Amino acid sequence: MASLSPPEEAAASYHHRQSKRYSSSSSSNGVESDFPKRPKISHPLPQSSNFISSSEIESEFSHHDLVFARINNGSFGCCPSSILSLQRDWQLRFLRQPDRFYFEDLKPKISESRTVIKRLINAEHDDEVSIVDNATTAAAIVLQQTAWAFREGRFEKGDAVVMLHYAYGSVKKSVEAYVTRSGGQVIEVQLPFPVVSADEIIDRFRNGLESGKANGRRVRLALIDHVTSMPSVVIPIKELVKICREEGVDQVFVDAAHGIGCVDVDMKEIGADFYTSNLHKWFFAPPSVAFLYCRKSNNGTAPDLHHPVVSNEYGNGLAIESSWVGTRDYSAQLVVPSILEFVNRFEGGIDGIKKRNHESIVEMGHMLVNSWGTQLGCPPEMCASMIMVGLPVCLGVSSESNVLKLRTFLRERFSIEIPIYFRPPADGEIDPITGYVRISFQVYNKPEDYHRLRDAINELVRDGFRCTSLSC
Amino acid sequence: MAADERRNGDSASHNHRAPKKPRLAELLTESDIQSEFSHHQTGVARINNGSFGCCPGSVLDAQREWQLRYLRQPDEFYFNGLRRGLLASRNVITDLINADHVDEVSLVDNATTAAAIVLQKIGRCFAEGEYQKEDTVVMFHCAFQSVKKSIQAYVSRVGGSTVEVRLPFPVNSNQEIISAFRQGLEKGRANGRTVRLAIIDHITSMPCVLMPVRELVKICREEGVEQVFVDAAHAIGSVKVDVKEIGADYYVSNLHKWFFCPPSVAFFYCKKHSSESDVHHPVVSHEFGNGLPIESAWIGTRDYSPQLVVPSVMDFVNRFEGGIEGIMNRNHDEAVRMGLMLANAWGTNLGSPPEMCVGMVMIGLPSKLCVESDEDATKLRLYLRVHRSVEVPVYFLALRDGEEGVKDKDSGIITAYVRISRQLYNKTEDYERLRDAINELVKDQITCQNLP
Repeated sequence: MASLSPPEEAAASYHHRQSKRYSSSSSSNGVESDFPKRPKISHPLPQSSNFISSSEIESEFSHHDLVFARINNGSFGCCPSSILSLQRDWQLRFLRQPDRFYFEDLKPKISESRTVIKRLINAEHDDEVSIVDNATTAAAIVLQQTAWAFREGRFEKGDAVVMLHYAYGSVKKSVEAYVTRSGGQVIEVQLPFPVVSADEIIDRFRNGLESGKANGRRVRLALIDHVTSMPSVVIPIKELVKICREEGVDQVFVDAAHGIGCVDVDMKEIGADFYTSNLHKWFFAPPSVAFLYCRKSNNGTAPDLHHPVVSNEYGNGLAIESSWVGTRDYSAQLVVPSILEFVNRFEGGIDGIKKRNHESIVEMGHMLVNSWGTQLGCPPEMCASMIMVGLPVCLGVSSESNVLKLRTFLRERFSIEIPIYFRPPADGEIDPITGYVRISFQVYNKPEDYHRLRDAINELVRDGFRCTSLSC
Repeated sequence: MAADERRNGDSASHNHRAPKKPRLAELLTESDIQSEFSHHQTGVARINNGSFGCCPGSVLDAQREWQLRYLRQPDEFYFNGLRRGLLASRNVITDLINADHVDEVSLVDNATTAAAIVLQKIGRCFAEGEYQKEDTVVMFHCAFQSVKKSIQAYVSRVGGSTVEVRLPFPVNSNQEIISAFRQGLEKGRANGRTVRLAIIDHITSMPCVLMPVRELVKICREEGVEQVFVDAAHAIGSVKVDVKEIGADYYVSNLHKWFFCPPSVAFFYCKKHSSESDVHHPVVSHEFGNGLPIESAWIGTRDYSPQLVVPSVMDFVNRFEGGIEGIMNRNHDEAVRMGLMLANAWGTNLGSPPEMCVGMVMIGLPSKLCVESDEDATKLRLYLRVHRSVEVPVYFLALRDGEEGVKDKDSGIITAYVRISRQLYNKTEDYERLRDAINELVKDQITCQNLP
């Protein structure tokens, strides 16, 4: 369990920071020495009757397109309007007097965000936490380091990087661009889908590591998803990291794009060398902000990581390098402490949200499975706030391009936003389920969203719809 | 120099469309302009547009619309709106800079990112043995610090060597710069080495000088420099940009400095070559291998709104007499006028002649201030910000052995310069406040050593 600051502490420290900020004043000679008072989130510490209400939640997400059944929080996340408003404040603060903001405010404020994240993820030192744009950037940072090691001869050509076959497309390309290009060998571990148990994954991974080590090679990096994207499954990450240590893998990098706000994120428990998670997916940050955690070893050294966009901060450590990558809008990074106050308006804070999201998505998953006569892609305990639900076989999902067109069709005809996964049939399977939807549940979702999906699919089935009928 | 050649040979005739001439009724008035920049902190003499630029309220509004469109239904925007919007921006830029084809134009966050892209490519060529160790990268000593660090990170690390050309400053003519550069190239080629890359600023940052970039690129071609990268962070909106005339292989300019975009966006031009150019965005996404413009159009979930408002910026600048050209010319003329006013008031000099300035001018500070180090310059800048509400960067100029330096009216050597910027929102009072602040310090015999 991540050790969160208790809500009281987080709120108190937030208010303490607020009182230290400039208060509004303007002197008579027209020289405004201070910034205007920033609107705070107006709720005090929640008592049980003061938790955020349903209508307040609706209001926070009223900027969403309300016509849509928006059941794909996993792809792009969401951001409540009170956070957007605070983000705007930060943007205006920079625009008002950018030089002063750069010299006086930016660095300390980013440090504050890093400290908040450090506590949330149970890291040891602030130094271990860098803030970057997204997990894609974090992957480039870690893989660039691996590439240097190959190029500079610390790794032998042919040493292996092991990753899951279901690794995110961008990460695979990053591995190609940095690792393959510099002489590393890439091993993809095939995982079963649908998944029956965590043991299946653990066994396959162990075998994958063994192939990595074949012919006396070293496995220099294991790249493991905490929650795979498509198809989506929660990976038994603690066990896999343990196996990596047992098998002498040099470094473990956990890609937890769907991490914070989705699953339990505890750096000390997980024990990886590198861990990245987006905050804009499940932690209500505006687009876009992520953290990259880099474990300091016992003797206090850190791996030689660098941000690929090199600025005058080069050489001052990744966290400082990442805090200035040239003139940018850093507001999404600055708003992180405020997000804590937002989630603490919910019962149980972020843990409560996670728990309720999970229970709801399992309930909705079962509801769809019962209605369609299909199955879930994994057992309920291997999902977090997303779950894969099989589509009726009679729809005839038969290719990647099918599922894209079906997705577009559902969007345009039914105003339903849902990603669909094509699961190729394996040899010997009779009438397998070849299409799975990935449904997400976040605080703004309602059962009606999933009823609409249920009914849309059932309508298509009744009408004898086939994916092949969708035009090119 | 003839007036139409004062921009280092940029001629008045270009292939691209002349800006739409706004009807009188559409032109922005003075109070419209103040309103567009009403979010700037009042009471501050903001004479440093060069560092962080500015963005008018109507463009911020357009940006907000794009942001909301995404937040409303991000999937739909990703699949249907984003690429199209980015292409529209790229088309505007292609036209503006006279590039041959929109495929040559990518949008990135800032010039710092473009430098990383170019230098990563150079680094790969060294690492993969295509270049010999000790082959060189040539640049000016006043190249932006981030660029220098990028060279360290990607080129020096793999054995490439660098040659720094000292920019003469204060400078009196293009010829001084051209001579220094020729010498630098010779050094770069000494002992049979090849100059693999020359990095040339179109407008240097500190000290700020408009460089004879066309001539310098020509010399590079004559002298067998393999590739030329023009770092033009300040260029677009400051000076006419014609990438074909300039003739570089790579050219980057920030749009948030002088072209009214919100932070942050830059265009990065890569001339099409017959061979594969092998430049890639360092943040690799699933678009890897589809060409830099497409790679840059998706580097993971981000707020791409600064890149999407370029057409709205065109609408904004076209509400001024002469469009962006008119704005540039008036900024230049006013900046020079204010620069001369200050130089006269302080008895000092300009760092370069007016035809080698843009909307920024370097003016010598009185020697009596005793600026003796970078730290002194920083202290003075801080003093001006905190005590006089003037925002202006200060440059310390260390004299080298054998240099005489330039003297001011008190016969002291000028060791520091301010870099003033002039943009639409500036007023004469801004520069008068700076003038008076400095004069008072001198009158009260305050030096950098005893600033409050």
